[in-house]
Amino acid sequence: MPTLRSGFFCLALLSAPIAVAADQPILTLTGAVQDAPLTLSRDDLLELPQHDLVTSTTVTDGTPHFEGFLIRDLLAAHQAEGEVVVARALNDYQMEIPLSDFEEFDVIGALSMDGAPLSPRDKGPIWIVYPRDDHRELQDIRYDTRWVWQLVSLHVQ
Amino acid sequence: MTQHSAPSQQSTWALYAPFVPVLLVFLGSLVFALAKSSALERDMRIAVTQNMLWVVSQTQMELMALTLATSPSDRDAGRITQRFDLTLSRLNLLQQGPQARYLEDLGHLETVQGMTAALLALDPQENGNRPELYADLFRLSESLHPEVNRIANDVMTTDWDKAAARLDAYRGTQRLIILAVAFAFLVALAISWIVLRNQRKLHLSELRHLRASSLLEQERDISSMYRDFAALVSHQLRTPLSLIDSAMHRLARKGDDVTAKDVTERRVIIGDAIGRLTRLVDTVLLLAKLDNDQLEARFSPIAMNAVAQGIVDEAQARHPQRVLRLSSTDGPLMARGDLHLAGHIIDNLVSNAIRYSDADTPVELHVFAQGFEVACAVTDLGQGVAPCDQPHLFNRYYRGHAQKAGDGTGLGLALAQELARFQGGRISFETWPGKGSVFTLWLPVARQAEQVAS
Repeated sequence: MPTLRSGFFCLALLSAPIAVAADQPILTLTGAVQDAPLTLSRDDLLELPQHDLVTSTTVTDGTPHFEGFLIRDLLAAHQAEGEVVVARALNDYQMEIPLSDFEEFDVIGALSMDGAPLSPRDKGPIWIVYPRDDHRELQDIRYDTRWVWQLVSLHVQ
Repeated sequence: MTQHSAPSQQSTWALYAPFVPVLLVFLGSLVFALAKSSALERDMRIAVTQNMLWVVSQTQMELMALTLATSPSDRDAGRITQRFDLTLSRLNLLQQGPQARYLEDLGHLETVQGMTAALLALDPQENGNRPELYADLFRLSESLHPEVNRIANDVMTTDWDKAAARLDAYRGTQRLIILAVAFAFLVALAISWIVLRNQRKLHLSELRHLRASSLLEQERDISSMYRDFAALVSHQLRTPLSLIDSAMHRLARKGDDVTAKDVTERRVIIGDAIGRLTRLVDTVLLLAKLDNDQLEARFSPIAMNAVAQGIVDEAQARHPQRVLRLSSTDGPLMARGDLHLAGHIIDNLVSNAIRYSDADTPVELHVFAQGFEVACAVTDLGQGVAPCDQPHLFNRYYRGHAQKAGDGTGLGLALAQELARFQGGRISFETWPGKGSVFTLWLPVARQAEQVAS
């Protein structure tokens, strides 16, 4: 059993073993990327340079510690070209994000929070996290809606 | 002379002292409005990120999807797992941070915890994908709908209550801000008023200061005038007195040898000196009366040519060598004025003409009527009045630049003009430098009735 935080309540305790297998595809890249469409596993994403980000969020207390890859690294690795990325979640939530966001800010695709892998029973497997505390302009509802959790696909256009 | 100095630093402070608290009140109300609107802005920023209703409706929807996925007609292991996970993720979200506190306030946190526990007891990943388990999941999820609906209802009502309360608070704050700004505006008006009033006060005190210093100047002028006056009069008095004195001494030295010729000579000198003294005393007395509003005059129709004739006769007696001529036009030449004053004026003009022209040149008088005035013009062939002296000719103590020191008082013409005006008339002059001058006394013509009466 991995170490877990009490703040997750009982659900988090029980959801931990449900983490998706590391070699299973968890993210689909489509649109203006090389070899589209392509699917990426958790292992693939962990091969990208990993970044830490400590920030408050609108749906949790305190400042969780996130770990994950920079979205711009992922897009660069697959020669993405376009203006916007359409991020889609497990429940078909869809949000257009301008590519400039990833250039201006160190936006990460978080794979774990406070040391525990993000579960699909919480915000996993991937949560788009903005460095909210470092930039005042990001503390805005228009950016909050771009924090797509349970991310399953990115479509570049 | 401190009473005439400019407003001191202290009084300037006194002028602006009421300004300081008013300015503080003005700034205070503006700061208050700023703080309130800043708090409002912060509150709106926080309020807009709370979106509890959306989270609950997401939970409702996922639960519905799970119910559908586990319904007997359409069961797929992969889909059920996904729906199970999503439902749990929404329930999980409800138990985190702000959402958990919200539910706790509503008394629903335990309900959600219970729902989660009940679902986890039927976790397909723990218990295997069995149709019986799916049937239990189907029944459980169905039974959870009313509870989630009730939570959704409560959240909605609470949100609306909160929104209404927040709007009330916003309105209250807005009203406060409007009041504060309006108050600040009034205070600004008050400040403007104070500034304007103070400027006016400063202006007034400056004016007072100026007036005070000009009064002082006037006082100085007057005192210097009296000094000048005393000096002039004493000089003018002493000269004839010393003439008389020396004439009497000579007579005394001769003792019994005094001849009739000696006496006649001295008599002329003394007579002349006494004449000068008399006229000087007359002038000074007239001036003093005029200045103290004590000049008494008897206005009556006077025959200007007769008055002029009298003056010419007297002057001729004093200056037997001079040629004095008087002419007058035909018709009535009756003016209205004081006989004595009119005589004094004409005498002054004639004396001046004699004094300021060469002994071999004539002095001519001409009496005539023009319009509603009767005039007596005195013409001499002297040096005339220099242009620089002309504007000051009728000022007291003013003596022409070409005059010898001690010659004349500078009072004669000034008094003559004042006496002419006193009688409703005036003195005018024309002058040609190097050739001569004409000084004319104008008096109002006497009314017909008066002329007949006289």
